[in-house]
Amino acid sequence: MSTETSSIDPVEKLLATARDEALDDEFHVTGVMMQYYEVCERELWFVSRHLEIDRDNVAVVRGTRVDDSAYEGKRRNVSIDGTIAIDVLEDGRVMEVKPSSSLVDPAKLQLCYYLWYLDRVVGVEREGVLAHPTERRQETVELTDERVEWVEESIRGVHRVVTSDTPPPAEEKPFCESCAYHDFCWSC
Amino acid sequence: MNDNYHVFSDGRLERHNDTVRLVTDEGEKKYLPIENAEALFLHGQIDYNTRLMSFLNDEGVAAHVFGWNDYYAGSIVPERGQTSGRTLVEQVRSYDDPDSRLSIARAFVAGSIHNMRANVSYYHNRDHDFESVIDELERIGDGLDEAGDVSELMGMEAGARRAYYSTFDAILPEGFVFGGRQYNPPSNEVNSLISFGNSLVYANCVSAIRATALDPAVSFLHEPGERRYSLALDIAEPFKPVLADRVIFRLLNRGQLTTDSFEEDLNACLLTETGRKTFSKAFEETLDRTVEHPRLDRKVSYQYLLRIEAYKLKKHLLTGEPYEPFERWW
Repeated sequence: MSTETSSIDPVEKLLATARDEALDDEFHVTGVMMQYYEVCERELWFVSRHLEIDRDNVAVVRGTRVDDSAYEGKRRNVSIDGTIAIDVLEDGRVMEVKPSSSLVDPAKLQLCYYLWYLDRVVGVEREGVLAHPTERRQETVELTDERVEWVEESIRGVHRVVTSDTPPPAEEKPFCESCAYHDFCWSC
Repeated sequence: MNDNYHVFSDGRLERHNDTVRLVTDEGEKKYLPIENAEALFLHGQIDYNTRLMSFLNDEGVAAHVFGWNDYYAGSIVPERGQTSGRTLVEQVRSYDDPDSRLSIARAFVAGSIHNMRANVSYYHNRDHDFESVIDELERIGDGLDEAGDVSELMGMEAGARRAYYSTFDAILPEGFVFGGRQYNPPSNEVNSLISFGNSLVYANCVSAIRATALDPAVSFLHEPGERRYSLALDIAEPFKPVLADRVIFRLLNRGQLTTDSFEEDLNACLLTETGRKTFSKAFEETLDRTVEHPRLDRKVSYQYLLRIEAYKLKKHLLTGEPYEPFERWW
């Protein structure tokens, strides 16, 4: 990153790039990056470097399976600007499916980012649904002013983490145990 | 998971339904539980076909081949292994930077000396006087920072290993004379065991490296190209005293291997088939031993320590976080 580009606010840059196809930003903030940012900044850094994970890890396998099978037929996958891929329900609400509610904030941030993107870039206001199929529970999510601020601060945070040459130091978190990077992260 | 299966008989290895079957030359049929396997170790003369190779590839199981003289001959490694251009680039970049290469190579030697010293101290505390060797190993270990290049480090490592090997004759029971390290071919029983033990450590390092995106041919202490998987030679270094040498001492001191377990063949002293089975069994039991890992906060097997070592090196290369070599802490 040159100093010139890093001096521009990542949020402004993202919006400018999305609105003007002549501009190209090599840095695409995806929904999954937002999720990782909220879960663990070190994990986000690893993912951004395409550091592959141990495919045998149970939690990863489970997450993939739930995501593929839940609410089949009632939602369709929509890609917007080649930047975000969202699941839209029949009634037009945006859905985000999570295997369990234990990491609810990261999933909510990811969903809010989609709502924010739809609102600010595409110009459509939508409601979101956070669904935990294994627990048969749904939660409606609206984009409030507070959540807009949360999303925009997180975009800046993602940018800061991903453009850094070194990962943030390891930090003990309650869900470290189930992370696919656990052994990689904590081996010393 | 992570089980190794050793095949000593001569015969044919084939895919049979969804498993692997060994048909020995005597017509005996044995099935290998492939779903839990990390690797097959082929010690006998084995025929196989491409159908078996594809199956092992799908199952992610490596096959390590050993020659008549117990030496590691090569591996058939699943293609599904991890690949990452970025990891390779960082690995090569680090190899190519003399300071970076030297510091990684130094870590391997430091770990190696530490673990040799742990073995010597163990026997010193029992019924031997190895104080001068312990001092010597400590002196060499303390001087590693002064090595200006990798060949100097190699020299120091060789010196440490000579001092370490000088204790073997005192540790081993009567009837076994070591004398010093000789290979190609091994001249006596102890040399033969060291060769076999080291080649098993080496093959397990190949398996461990395969689980990461590290390139097994780009090494730091050993010259790349010296052997095909020279990174496995690097990583094996600190593990030989813990995984191979302690098994040798144990088996000989308990009389589980005797001079009858060896035979002379073409000027080489080699293990008999029964001897190889005894050794491999004890070696696998050692790999399965567990120890509480202070950072991972759970028990890990000695075999998994090899995987951890590969992770640590990869993490160092990609993040710049320091690489601390494996040093026995228990």
